[in-house]
Amino acid sequence: MRNVAIVGIGYTPVFVSKRRDVCIPEMISEAVENAFKDSGLTPADIDAIIFGNMHTFEGVNLPHLWCADYIASLGKPVMRIATGGTTGMAALHAAYYHIVSGLHDVVMVVTYEKHSEGDSQVGLLGIITPEIMAMLALGIDVTGQSGMGAIGGGSAGGISYQASSYLAHSGAGIEHIDAIAAMERRNAAKNPYAHLKDPEATAEKIAQTPLVSYPIRFGHICPTSDGATVCILASEEKAAKLADRAAWVWAVSNCCSDATTGNLIEGIITDPAEQMPAVIASRQAYERAGIEDPKKEIDYVEIYNGFAHQTLMFLEKIGMCELGEAHKLLEKGELEMSGRLPVNASGGVVSTNSIGTSAMNRVTECALQIMGRAGEHQVEKEVHKALAHGWGGLMQYVTITILADKPKKP
Amino acid sequence: MGATEEAFITPAIPMDFTYNYRIGLYMTRYLEGFKERKIMGSRCSGCRKIAVPPRKYCGVCNKIMDEFVELPQEGTLENFTVGHVVLEKGRLNPAENPYLLGLVRLDENASLLLARVEGLDPAEARPGMRVKAVWKDQVEGDYGDLDHFAPA
Repeated sequence: MRNVAIVGIGYTPVFVSKRRDVCIPEMISEAVENAFKDSGLTPADIDAIIFGNMHTFEGVNLPHLWCADYIASLGKPVMRIATGGTTGMAALHAAYYHIVSGLHDVVMVVTYEKHSEGDSQVGLLGIITPEIMAMLALGIDVTGQSGMGAIGGGSAGGISYQASSYLAHSGAGIEHIDAIAAMERRNAAKNPYAHLKDPEATAEKIAQTPLVSYPIRFGHICPTSDGATVCILASEEKAAKLADRAAWVWAVSNCCSDATTGNLIEGIITDPAEQMPAVIASRQAYERAGIEDPKKEIDYVEIYNGFAHQTLMFLEKIGMCELGEAHKLLEKGELEMSGRLPVNASGGVVSTNSIGTSAMNRVTECALQIMGRAGEHQVEKEVHKALAHGWGGLMQYVTITILADKPKKP
Repeated sequence: MGATEEAFITPAIPMDFTYNYRIGLYMTRYLEGFKERKIMGSRCSGCRKIAVPPRKYCGVCNKIMDEFVELPQEGTLENFTVGHVVLEKGRLNPAENPYLLGLVRLDENASLLLARVEGLDPAEARPGMRVKAVWKDQVEGDYGDLDHFAPA
């Protein structure tokens, strides 16, 4: 297979609760323009466009077609991807497939969400409505108190089981969830494209936020943000001609299991913290990238963490540390920007969640770290290889992308 | 040009429609069991694991599960959460009292049931506790018949 590189990245100038000044296509166009500026490419260089955002959230069913001229796609092939939380990375994977196949050489991936123009509850109901079927299939009385608790206790419904199971099996405590949330909000304060920033965040401060559904507190939960991210990928031949810097895709993988509250590789509720898709997808990615020991070979990780405990849980699931070890690494400061295994220097999804971009930003943030362009949130150690993780769907779909600082040898 | 005040439109679209999802053969069998206060599952002929509620496929074996089994009404609290909010008419409001939602593993069973747990102080709840099914006084073959689980 031929090599594929990330040659351009563009963000909207800010990710915030409400972009009142622009409409949806205008906001997206800001990231498109920034990606062209960043890469030095022009619309004429782009062969095809992949577009990704969450279904239902803004009530716009065909946003990629509405935005056609704002994403420089007139007269070109456009494909829209919507896989829930992982949308941004699934869209990037689609671009990778386009190029690896030899069909196209330069593909632009456009992702966005403008949460403030929809209703989060309605958006989530758009996901929950089909999920109600999955809930019914598990015998959950959706109209009675337990069902409403499962929905209302939050997206936290399923997530809080996941978090409590993780705590029970890992030996970590709720104070570790507080601490990782605080670390990421501090990291976010150094990232100009982050939403919730708090340079003074501490575990104690997070611990004062109210419990939503044990052990999930308000301070452990991601915001809803307005923002867009654009990424341009190119074949090795084109990248050599067009780009003076790049991050190289060494592996992509994804894995799905059966739907609903738990993690259901067996089609039934098992342990919601089991997350077998993460285990399977990461193993496949390591194999494809020729990585034998991820603990030694991966320098930097971006974890998709809509909820703060997931940083710790997924580090273990993807084999970056042993089961039950992540909270100990946290205690030793090893997950900090200055640490041995820096994670989510960007602040993670828990700090910024414009959902179509959320899994995409895991990849672009890894790319920036590899290229040494992350600015104030550049980690101290040198980053040669980095792993980006995406999670979502009905809590059971995982995407993985491994990037490196040079092309992979055939 | 910068917008100085918020300008937006709020379209009102007069539509009212309902989705009607069919529950299928296996769930019908589960709810039929409720009429006799029975909890039914289905067993895989490959791995012998039991799914509750019954379902058609064992995903691991890719086999059709065609054996229905009645399950014991007692089991273990495998895991739980404590709800502090409730969803009322689309809004999240504080719950009157924190309430327990458990994942219960019935004896002899591989899969978990999500259910309310009552008669147990949320602060006292621990994984591994023994619980039993409590039915509504009047059962009618509805999801709500299996009302909650209580300490056994």
